[in-house]
Amino acid sequence: MEQILATTLRSAAPLVLVATAGVFAFRAGIFHLGLEGLMITGAFTTVAVAEATGSVELGILAAIGVCMALSAVYWWVIGPLGANVIIAGLGLTSIGLGGTAFALGAIFDRRGSLFTDVVLPRPVSGITSGPGVIVSEHSILVWLTPLIVLAAWVVLRRSRFGLRLAAAGEYPFAARTAGVNPSIMRLQALLIAGALCALGGAELSVGALHNFTENMTNGRGFIAFVAVIFGAWHPIGAAFAGLFFGFADAIGIQSQINITERVPREFVLMIPFVLTIFAVWLGGLWRRRSLEAEAGYAELREPDY
Amino acid sequence: MTVPSSPASAGVPAVRCRSLGVSFGSVRALHRVSLDLAPGRIHALVGQNGAGKTTLAKVLGGLQAPDTGDVHIAGREIPPGDVRAARAAGLAMVHQHFSLPPSFTVAEALELTAARPGGRPLYRRNELHRRWRDDVAEIGGEAVLSTRIRDLPVETRQSLEIVRAMAADARILMLDEPTALLTPAAIDALFERLRRLREDGVTILVVLHKLREVAAVADTVSVLRDGELVLGPNEMSEVSQGRLSDAIVGPASQADRAVGVEAAPGAEQQTLLELARVSSRASAFEPGLGGIDLSVEAGEIVGIAGVEGNGQRSLVSVIAGLNAVTEGSVLLGGTDVTRAPPARRRRRGLRLVPFDRNSEGISRRAPLWLNQSALRLIGRRRRRLPLISLRQYKRQAATEMDQWRVRYDAVTQPAESLSGGNVQRLILSRELAPGLQVLVAAQPTRGLDFSATSFVRRSLRGLRDAGAGVLLVSSDLDELFELSDRVLVIYGGRIVAGFEAPYERRAVGDAMTGARR
Repeated sequence: MEQILATTLRSAAPLVLVATAGVFAFRAGIFHLGLEGLMITGAFTTVAVAEATGSVELGILAAIGVCMALSAVYWWVIGPLGANVIIAGLGLTSIGLGGTAFALGAIFDRRGSLFTDVVLPRPVSGITSGPGVIVSEHSILVWLTPLIVLAAWVVLRRSRFGLRLAAAGEYPFAARTAGVNPSIMRLQALLIAGALCALGGAELSVGALHNFTENMTNGRGFIAFVAVIFGAWHPIGAAFAGLFFGFADAIGIQSQINITERVPREFVLMIPFVLTIFAVWLGGLWRRRSLEAEAGYAELREPDY
Repeated sequence: MTVPSSPASAGVPAVRCRSLGVSFGSVRALHRVSLDLAPGRIHALVGQNGAGKTTLAKVLGGLQAPDTGDVHIAGREIPPGDVRAARAAGLAMVHQHFSLPPSFTVAEALELTAARPGGRPLYRRNELHRRWRDDVAEIGGEAVLSTRIRDLPVETRQSLEIVRAMAADARILMLDEPTALLTPAAIDALFERLRRLREDGVTILVVLHKLREVAAVADTVSVLRDGELVLGPNEMSEVSQGRLSDAIVGPASQADRAVGVEAAPGAEQQTLLELARVSSRASAFEPGLGGIDLSVEAGEIVGIAGVEGNGQRSLVSVIAGLNAVTEGSVLLGGTDVTRAPPARRRRRGLRLVPFDRNSEGISRRAPLWLNQSALRLIGRRRRRLPLISLRQYKRQAATEMDQWRVRYDAVTQPAESLSGGNVQRLILSRELAPGLQVLVAAQPTRGLDFSATSFVRRSLRGLRDAGAGVLLVSSDLDELFELSDRVLVIYGGRIVAGFEAPYERRAVGDAMTGARR
């Protein structure tokens, strides 16, 4: 049981970080399907720069920079250029998945994965029995995640910036009459989301593991996307949704180890996804909330005439 | 062209603009508009749909950058299209469409617009409440602060827009068609409020449609026509009603065609539309219907009066076949259509002018000709082949729209490119085509200008005289009294009273507010 909870935290942290990124984007009216691409880019950049410089901090800073730059490009494509948000988001994901695999070969001449010894510090480690196992062996980012979520809540729900962001997403006309440029608000939301995705990717590669592997995000960006909807666009809600999906993941992993003899492996692997479908259905009960940013989304689809 | 005027006023004009010009593509929205507004007075701006009133208001408020010309507020030049600069100079605006985000609480919405760079970035809930408590004293006090905008009644939302505008210490208040959504009582309250603001020295510019309202509240009046300022600002006492109407409509306005329908032979004294104990489920915005009995005979106009949100939309939806009936039955020309889909009702001669013309009356992206010929497409004419001739449809649509004086460039342009009044004309040109038996008209003149309004009213009367039945749903009591043979009052999803001419305004008003049941 302790092991399951420990794995839950480890699986959930990247999900929660990326879901928080999704909340920022969604509040600004952007259905951000590029989360996955940003996440894997963050994972790769961290490992690559950390391995090259020997500094994990530099790796994370580089990842944040690259992901924010990609987010700015995404904003430029869906905003000023007027491309479809969904298609451009999926394009961003493809670029991230393909680009990191390509860069792995082109820069490091590797296929499959890249190992590194430069990883994030783990404040508590070495505990092998008792309830202490739950908190042991987690990277510093796992410990920081609750603080980041709390900060996101303050920014979104208790700051003037958050009000402007929500107005831009929900009712761009209201933002405009308040002297706020909705397009600039969207850019800011996307930049924040980019930075959070970089952190999520970094936790995946140098927090929980010691390597970057092609397609290592394995759909986590999309699960985070679901967590945003499940969490009713609220940072705390999305965090708990991410925790729930992390739990589902942990059950999958643990039961693979323990019960594969009796139950077919494929069924065990299905568990997280079955739970996800269930969660999405449950999330539908809060549908009214999810309509809130639709005007912002509509404005992106159909700009002013 | 521009009539040079502006009464000699002490000091600088509150608002001054010089040769403003704005074009949207090939359409000229404003052309060389110059205007001086004296401080401390109520100025009315009138004009037909598409005359450029809203555009002018937006330019003055900094929401729209002009192509040419400049704007000075209280003597200071405002950079084009800068909302913040206009606000800093003391100008606040109440928009035609509500401008507060529906999911925000009142306190959050007020904070959104008041937030200025330099204020503390974070806030606490009770801090917001303390700050805005006094501003909302008139519209319900502190309790209203935690209410969400979408849960507020229309009147309160409007008042809140004014509160929000005045909270910025505005010295100049602009209101774009503030009366369009209000009941007569709420309009009176609004005008009273404007007069009190004038006492405090606030300059007010209000865009209005109805000359009666202009006469009731304005000190001066200006008229826009086709994007040009053709009159004013003139003192109200200096201009006659007739001169004002002429200025609005312009010279040699061609007469609209009279509307005729082919009255079905022997249709006299036949019940065309009947609702028997009809109930429906409540929607997000309105109570459901609670057992409505109603009939419309051939050759009569039945008016439905009521404060907005008392089931009018449900009623129209149920008749149109868009909402399910939970109990009771709907009959068209004696045939039960309770479960019939909308198209079948249409073929039986039901026609509909819906509440929200942009979302329910047209397909926004579809070309004009397709919108115009939608009814012909569901018609059941025997053809040898189930094919249509595009060229013939387009030509016929163009003919119809020309007859209804819809202003457009090409039949292939999307319907959403038309202005509000033109969209209504487009809808009327489609719905009032031959074959009509019953017309359900929901707010058919809302937001329409003077000449379009009288045109629609003439058309409704024409329909009645030709033997059709009309159900007129309106929040404009004058309109109901003028047109209706009977007026029914809807309250809380029920018909609570019925009146016949001569109407007593007071009694109808009491029934509308539920004071008399």
